[in-house]
Amino acid sequence: MSSADPSFVASLKPGTPEATAERALLSEIDVSTRRPVFFFLCAALVWLLVGTGFALIASIKLHNPAFLGQAEWLTFGNVRTAHLNSVVYGWATNAAFAVALWIMARLSRTQVRHLGILDVAGFFWNLGVAIGIVGILRGDSTSIEWLEFPAYATPLLFVAYALIGIWAIIAFRFRQPGHVYVSQWYLLAALFWFPWLYSIAQLMLVFAPVRGAVQPLVNWWFAHNVLGLWFTPIGLAAIYYFLPKVLGKPIHSYYLSALGFWSLALFYNWAGVHHLIGGPIPAWVLSAGIVASLLMIIPVVTTGINHHLTMFGSFGRLKDSPTLRFMVFGGMSYTLVSLIGSAMAVRSFNEIAHFTHFTVAHAHHGLYAFFTMVMFGSIYYMMPRLTGREWPSAPLISAHFWFCAVGITIYVVGLKIGGLIQGWEMVATTTSEAGEVALRVPLFLDIVKHTLPYLVSRSLAGMMITIGHLAFAVHFVWMLLQPRAVAGAQPVRLSPDAALPASRA
Amino acid sequence: MGYGAYTFVVVMAVAVMASAVYALYWAVKTGQFRQFEKGATEIFTAEEPEGQPTDFFPQKRKKPTA
Repeated sequence: MSSADPSFVASLKPGTPEATAERALLSEIDVSTRRPVFFFLCAALVWLLVGTGFALIASIKLHNPAFLGQAEWLTFGNVRTAHLNSVVYGWATNAAFAVALWIMARLSRTQVRHLGILDVAGFFWNLGVAIGIVGILRGDSTSIEWLEFPAYATPLLFVAYALIGIWAIIAFRFRQPGHVYVSQWYLLAALFWFPWLYSIAQLMLVFAPVRGAVQPLVNWWFAHNVLGLWFTPIGLAAIYYFLPKVLGKPIHSYYLSALGFWSLALFYNWAGVHHLIGGPIPAWVLSAGIVASLLMIIPVVTTGINHHLTMFGSFGRLKDSPTLRFMVFGGMSYTLVSLIGSAMAVRSFNEIAHFTHFTVAHAHHGLYAFFTMVMFGSIYYMMPRLTGREWPSAPLISAHFWFCAVGITIYVVGLKIGGLIQGWEMVATTTSEAGEVALRVPLFLDIVKHTLPYLVSRSLAGMMITIGHLAFAVHFVWMLLQPRAVAGAQPVRLSPDAALPASRA
Repeated sequence: MGYGAYTFVVVMAVAVMASAVYALYWAVKTGQFRQFEKGATEIFTAEEPEGQPTDFFPQKRKKPTA
């Protein structure tokens, strides 16, 4: 047990001495973070199911508009927005908090303090999200992409987030001195960047709104940076921690991971403007964004090489480790989606693919095939160590993985093809002998009809993903219903000689 | 529109950039960029040592050699 837990005020005061933080056992740290991390994981899972439900409804409505047509609160505009916000701020952010806090605690290598802050933060965050989702379904959406929560919900999110940020600062301050592992760099950066992004965006779009072309610039600076400076760093932090942990061998080139982090920090912030290519934005602004989007190839390839070389020779372990499967799928998806993203920023390709279903497929490629799969892998690793129980069923883990992996692949491939058809047909022209230029597919409705098969394949993929999520949810609850430390089974996290740590509240 | 709000925005942007520069300076000064090999092994401890895989499917955990 560490020296007596100082008061919250003492932890914040600059003069408080940081010395005498005793190094703690990993198992002790895991157990100490149990309550807040577990709460965030449960909240994340609930929002995952809610968000998946909204997703299915929205997807079906696009090829079957009469579906649930009598419920005005479920119009496509409401349900698609509710889906986006519940998966981004409900599932993904709660999962991000859980994984970030757990890894930060372990990397601090000492007992963490003031976990009560996280309980309060978790409550306010999820209350804010719930109020926001209900507000969207009531029709109070602000209609600003990724910021649709009405203004009466967002201050709660900000308070919650501020508390988490304060906890992270205290945890970092009172850590065991020494090297700061690359995951901790990514996590601290993400926790630092996100409140800045969110508060500036709220200020400039909702509370003291700008007008004209500056509005979408701020909007997409914010929304893209939520992907690049909040979710991507957390996903990469998780891969950089769990990949070597699962394999038992260190990252192949730690130098490359430092290079990857700093180049991401330098370039990612500029890239958001690529969402507006083709729009009424000054050309030099767009060009700056395109250049930054292409420069992102540097950190992406660096990270991809690093992960691949770490895995090299160990691909056989994919059949042994659930976490590894999800991490490798996620890591490969990260490299692929980022390279495709850089290509999408090039003006000639953008002319075809922009403002089509291709963008939607790309968004899901990044947030699901990369981030969500990495979060799943992290949760499979964390839960036994948090709860002292083992996952009861290997088949359910495999079912979860395969339904989700195959599902998202069908989703992304199908919808990208549909988006390219859509985009190409919208701009394709023929030139007659007389020199008259005409559209190849002049009727917009024909273009819509040509994309229908891919919208249907998306719904089918969505049903597969839903089955995977249900398998995960059932398994999660089943695990909790197990008695602690089932007789005869060895808890995965301990070496056979170590005793189970005394449980702490 | 409130010039106060925009002043705040610009000040915050400068502050964030300055803190990024400071973070890089801090990293160099505290030796984060030295000893890369050692840094990569920081995640291994006595409980979960290097060379020992730590994740398995349930009921498939190989008995570690004692």
